[in-house]
Amino acid sequence: MTTTNGVPVAEGLFTETADGPRLTGSRCATCGTPSFPKAAVCHSPGCTESKIEDAQFGPHGTLWSYSVQYYPPPPPAKYDEPYEPYALALIDMPEGLRVMARVSTDDPESVKVGVDVELVLEKLYTNPEGEEVITWKFREV
Amino acid sequence: MREVAVAGVGMHPWGKFPDKSVTQLSREAVEAALADAGVAWPEIQAVSAASSRFSGGKGWGLNGNDIVEEMGSTGVPVYNLSAGCAAGGNALNIGYTLVASGLYDKVLVVGAEKMPKGFIQTSGVEEETDLEYLRQLSVGMPGPAFWGMLCRRRMEEHGTTEKQLAQIAVKSHKISIHNENARFRKEFTLEDVLNSAMVSYPLRLFEICPVSDGAAAVVLCSADEAKKLTTKPVWVASSTVATSRHDDGIPKGLATITPPGGTHHSEASVAVKRAFEESGAGPADIDLVELQDNTVYYELAFPEEWGLCEAGEAESLVESGETMPTGRLPINPSGGFLSFGEATTAMGVFQVCELAWQLRGEASARQVPDAKVGLGQTLGLGGNGTAVMLKR
Repeated sequence: MTTTNGVPVAEGLFTETADGPRLTGSRCATCGTPSFPKAAVCHSPGCTESKIEDAQFGPHGTLWSYSVQYYPPPPPAKYDEPYEPYALALIDMPEGLRVMARVSTDDPESVKVGVDVELVLEKLYTNPEGEEVITWKFREV
Repeated sequence: MREVAVAGVGMHPWGKFPDKSVTQLSREAVEAALADAGVAWPEIQAVSAASSRFSGGKGWGLNGNDIVEEMGSTGVPVYNLSAGCAAGGNALNIGYTLVASGLYDKVLVVGAEKMPKGFIQTSGVEEETDLEYLRQLSVGMPGPAFWGMLCRRRMEEHGTTEKQLAQIAVKSHKISIHNENARFRKEFTLEDVLNSAMVSYPLRLFEICPVSDGAAAVVLCSADEAKKLTTKPVWVASSTVATSRHDDGIPKGLATITPPGGTHHSEASVAVKRAFEESGAGPADIDLVELQDNTVYYELAFPEEWGLCEAGEAESLVESGETMPTGRLPINPSGGFLSFGEATTAMGVFQVCELAWQLRGEASARQVPDAKVGLGQTLGLGGNGTAVMLKR
């Protein structure tokens, strides 16, 4: 899978649809448990029969909490030089998922708990080939 | 199951020791524990060791084999336990089980680690099917940022202030000057902490634990052996291991389900609550706690999640000095991870050393008065949690 602007940070995690970006995962048809990324079997211990179906999640969410990372993260995380602090967050999505994500913002210190956010696919860093490496982020609506 | 006693404990000080191998740190701790127990190495019938992620063990986490080769290969059975930062607690649990089951009478538990500098690179593999690797690759979430998110949520729910967070670090370092094994033995003022660099908002440099080198060892024995070795035994009241629940509110990989059904940190709270049940003692009986304070946030969250205090009460306990060794709920009278730094896989054994010293009344100026029952707890990557209760 590729996005319009670059290469995905990993395969199979998100996609661009006619209705906008979506996270790609799965849902169990028996118990409704969602999973991101896609699960091979239902991970809910109470589920009686795993029936995994592809599912897409997004674009809406609520920001549950966040942090701002003031120092470069260790490998395998990569970043453009010079390093700029970034915000990361846990996002509650109406599909029943709490997802880890970068926050898309010019001012990480302005992030607020409880705000409505939407999914975007944006650059994480530029790779040595000059391509933008894309990941999923959420930005305040 | 038989009663299990702590016959002896030993520790190599925490710090940075570039001139010593992890096995040397380990040996010094083991020799101290054997001497404390009055047990000779050949008497040890089994070894339960934490598998180091970063040092020794031939890269396979065979740290128990390293120490056996170092001490003298007696043919003793070795168990190497890997459980992320909970490995020391896990090794303790297996050592406990080996004695409690009646299989062995004298068992050595050991944890030692030499840490590389800087933020911990959590996953040791580079595979996108490894969710820890994947989340570091795609989001970039060092440990302190993870703790920062949880702490920021607490500020939202309980009105926790940055000053209250700093007070916990002040408390830990106030104790640290009384512990000769601590790496950072220096008192800090509130201003010192609040002026330290912001690492992962809202957590500052002095409010998170750095990485350290260190080693700790414990000799466990049966009641019959304990009677021969000491007139003042300390007992393992319970030892438990748990893993996180599917409905935990904190994602282990990229996501978890909402609304969460259990507590946060279910691996820890399940282990602790089972430790209460199996010991027959409850939260009200706990005289001191050694909990995994990678960050000051945990000294607020964990006591509440385990029923040691009411929800939202932890901040006021800190402010009124009740978490000091002389307070109502002494937390980390060792000085904690904040004062020692984290030698990741050794920490569960480190906690048992401190609990034993406290229950024996040998903790000098950091002594919890008349301590009878102590609780230790670890949690680690993969959703591993452990708890141990000691009593006298």
